[in-house]
Amino acid sequence: MDLLSFARGPGMTWAVTIFVVGVLWKLAGLILLRARRDLSEARTPSAWTGLRAILTRSWPRRAFVHGTAFSEVLGYSFHIGFLFTLVFYLPHVLFFEDVFKGLLGVNFQKLFGVHWPYFSGGMVNFFGAVAVAALIALLVHRIVNPVKRLISNFDDYFSWLVTIAPLVTGMLAYGHVGAPYQTLIALHLLSVELLLVWFPFGKLMHTFTVFLSRGTQGMQFERKGATL
Amino acid sequence: MSASDVNTEHPLELEAPRFSVKKPAVRYDKQGEVPDADRVQRAMQNFVRDFGRSAAIYMESCVHCGNCAEACHFYATTGDAKYTPIWKIEPFKQAYKREYGPFAWFYRALNLKSAVTVERLEEWQELIYDSCTVCGRCSLVCPMGIDIASLVSLARHGMAKAGLVPHELWAVAERGAKEGSPLGATPKVFKDRLEWLADDYEIDIPLDKAKADVLCTMSSIEIMKYPESIVATAKIMKHVGADWTFRLDGYEATNFGLLSGNADWQRDMSMKLIDAAIACGAKTLVLPECGHAYGALRWMGANLYGKPLPFRVVHIAEFMAEHVKSGKLKLKKVGKSVTFHDPCQISRRGGAIEAPREVLAALGVELREMEPSKGLNWCCGGGGGVVTIHRADALRYRVFQLKMNQIDETGAELPVTSCSNCRQTFDDGQAHFKWDKTMNSLLEMVADNLEGEAA
Amino acid sequence: MKGETMRNDDRDITLGEYLAARGVSRRAFLKFACSLASLMALPPSAGVAMAEAMAKSKRPSVLWFPFQECTGCTESITRSHEPTIESMIFDMISLDYQETLMAAAGHQSEAAREQAMKDNYGKYLLLIDGSVATGLDGAYSCIGGQTNLSWLVEAAKGAAAIIAIGSCAAYGGIPKANPNPTGARAVSDIVKDKPIVNIPGCPPIPAVLTGVLAHFLTFGSLPELDPLGRPKAFYGETIHDRCYRRPFYDQGRFAKTFDDEGARNGWCLYELGCKGPVTYNACATIKWNAGTSFPIQSGHGCLGCAEPDFWDKGSFYRPLSVAHWGDKATLGGAAAIGVALGAAAALAARRRQDKIAKGD
Repeated sequence: MDLLSFARGPGMTWAVTIFVVGVLWKLAGLILLRARRDLSEARTPSAWTGLRAILTRSWPRRAFVHGTAFSEVLGYSFHIGFLFTLVFYLPHVLFFEDVFKGLLGVNFQKLFGVHWPYFSGGMVNFFGAVAVAALIALLVHRIVNPVKRLISNFDDYFSWLVTIAPLVTGMLAYGHVGAPYQTLIALHLLSVELLLVWFPFGKLMHTFTVFLSRGTQGMQFERKGATL
Repeated sequence: MSASDVNTEHPLELEAPRFSVKKPAVRYDKQGEVPDADRVQRAMQNFVRDFGRSAAIYMESCVHCGNCAEACHFYATTGDAKYTPIWKIEPFKQAYKREYGPFAWFYRALNLKSAVTVERLEEWQELIYDSCTVCGRCSLVCPMGIDIASLVSLARHGMAKAGLVPHELWAVAERGAKEGSPLGATPKVFKDRLEWLADDYEIDIPLDKAKADVLCTMSSIEIMKYPESIVATAKIMKHVGADWTFRLDGYEATNFGLLSGNADWQRDMSMKLIDAAIACGAKTLVLPECGHAYGALRWMGANLYGKPLPFRVVHIAEFMAEHVKSGKLKLKKVGKSVTFHDPCQISRRGGAIEAPREVLAALGVELREMEPSKGLNWCCGGGGGVVTIHRADALRYRVFQLKMNQIDETGAELPVTSCSNCRQTFDDGQAHFKWDKTMNSLLEMVADNLEGEAA
Repeated sequence: MKGETMRNDDRDITLGEYLAARGVSRRAFLKFACSLASLMALPPSAGVAMAEAMAKSKRPSVLWFPFQECTGCTESITRSHEPTIESMIFDMISLDYQETLMAAAGHQSEAAREQAMKDNYGKYLLLIDGSVATGLDGAYSCIGGQTNLSWLVEAAKGAAAIIAIGSCAAYGGIPKANPNPTGARAVSDIVKDKPIVNIPGCPPIPAVLTGVLAHFLTFGSLPELDPLGRPKAFYGETIHDRCYRRPFYDQGRFAKTFDDEGARNGWCLYELGCKGPVTYNACATIKWNAGTSFPIQSGHGCLGCAEPDFWDKGSFYRPLSVAHWGDKATLGGAAAIGVALGAAAALAARRRQDKIAKGD
């Protein structure tokens, strides 16, 4: 079997399977832990309003902006660039549409009456470049900044690698640079598979845990009327 | 004093005037004669013992962004990366992954996270105790919403069981557990004080009433260092016509079990207050001007008790605010400019942010807020037990400079707070830096300005 | 001229003499040679060299064996409306065996074949179209009672080179599609010790065969081949890289159905399953029927027919990027396993906690 057929077929099947098993294992393993009920008298009758932390924690409060703005801006540049390339490029859109339709039975067009939007290759490439540039800047910062350097470990660097690889291989494939297209697209798919396989075991899980941790702090603090 | 675990190599001098140790020899305090391997195991397991789902979620979510350092006063004033808040619990993150996380079995089977060593825990002692006041600013800046401060408290559970607490903190905690007060304000001493204060100030101070609506409590800092607070409390209770009492079986509001991380002592100390309130059928338990006392009983008490408390718990500032609103607490106007130092455990972590301000408004002061203020205020640097640790004095004074600048910039005449540990920290800092401002107690300010009464 | 059995004596004259005898002017032949040279990306001077070399050469013996095929390759190669470049193939070579075109049949044709092989041993070119059936020892495809497989093995021994025409001969093609009941194989799977040129396509572009033969006549060797044995001159780039609709791909303009506004505007057919990006062939430049059109120009996506196993790579209408993997059962099972493992881990953690609490 040639590399591309492997990457599109069994490689993807295994990667997605490991991804699904790992993510659900991690999440179930967290959510099903002993939840200690708080018996103290709540200051706020309904703590559900604390879930607003999921949104509000997306930007630091004014008192903290000065020290954190650099990382926040770079972080958003990466996330926005990455998500744009992932979600607004037709070949990717077709992939997800097919997954939703074929595996989950959800037809976006039937539900909403319009097709999921997508943009030109040039636009997608631009956002990809923004994401790559941001990642490189963030890596440099992680190595140079004493706080980040101290607290960083293998997970931080490896997760960085498996995140930048799909972006770089995707852009190379789009530009047909350096090797035959079939090889480039196979490498792109393999890099995505590596990301999927690593995902449940490292900090990429923040994709899901961000809702859990912000939500937990939000509700815990809200019931006390504590500053959120 | 019964047998203590306190290390006798370094004698304690709690009564002596405080001094800064310029460059203390590196010292890893230990309690008890326990093999190192056991210490580590106790540390790891007791960290996990009190874990729940929330703590696990927090432990899982860190993305190593480093933002927490920016919020921490210890990092802000030193630039030393080791004070990064999430770094303070690093060995315990490993423990979590090995002992409790969803992939724990793999971590143990494949030894993916090396077992923590006692040397590493010793190294971490100063990070967990000397350089964390559990102020909670880090929890607010964290983009992932991790309550880092609570994780440091949990880490202290492990350290305490392993006998790795800084030894002055351990000593006062043990004293509190065994004598009823960390600073020697034993029931006998307390009773004596109440008697001479009642005499000196000619005011009724009820003690050990069989039944009362309101149970008042005090902190040993006030009992020993700011006894006027006891008088102030009595005056205000009388002014609002409360049916109140002190009780010798439950008066000590500080909780050095919480601060040192000894969960058993923490429970014992809280249960004393709870049992006393139940014994006298109190509907309200009033906590004094003390920061961690509020967190300990108002928010953690019921969970230690195992059921909702059959009475309300309020901070004295909240009690005063309620009575300002109801009209029972009538105050004279104080025509001064004031800035309010929000105690971390009462405002930011405790949620009682507006109560002191309502009282200050009733006092008619010109309130000039610090920048930042309320829930984002900088910590005084003495909470969480840090003020008891002498070897941390130099660090604490660096942090204190932040506070002096903050307060000076408001141009207010009077700094006011409602936590006596903050007050103690400010007094110590004032002496060290020969600062021109003295911290005031909100409670005493109210007691001094009751309408219709001489100050 | 096509359709006639070549006579033996014609083989002794040169190609130039042969063409002159048929009224093909030197000018026409030079033009033919130059266009061939440019197709193969050779320099202009090569065209003249090719004309001179070919004119002097003796026409090589070519044996064309049809194996498990549909005759589409023959149809493509011979398709012409007037004497064209393609028809000249048959003037350049001595086509000594071609079942569709030769007049003889039955034992006569077999005798002709054996004679040609004997007379030109070591020098003839073997053209194969159709896959080689290997199931039941090759019995699935026989000519004159003998299996294709045995013919190939026998004929390969005396061949100078083998040209596998069409995707069936080059890769196994449609007969090889899952479940491959006849055991169809590519020529290159059977013959390992002779130079083989693959000219895939279903069918292939006629000019490719012409170009390969011309190269052989001129230089006495086969042109530069890619890793799949295809002449790089024709299979060096993907359809996508030469497609006139490429700007629409880059701009993000795609047809969603075969008759929507995008289709009518001639937008990119990626979403309709075009395999252009992963297919190497010259369709987008040389096109078909003397440059008239090619599938994409006519509004249908490329099937990828010049690539191995194109029939087994999923629907022609499923876009390249969609899943070729997974099904509800696998993913559902994975999800269930994940949750179960997580629950087990949480339970173990709780138990461990309880044990620690009790132990105190």
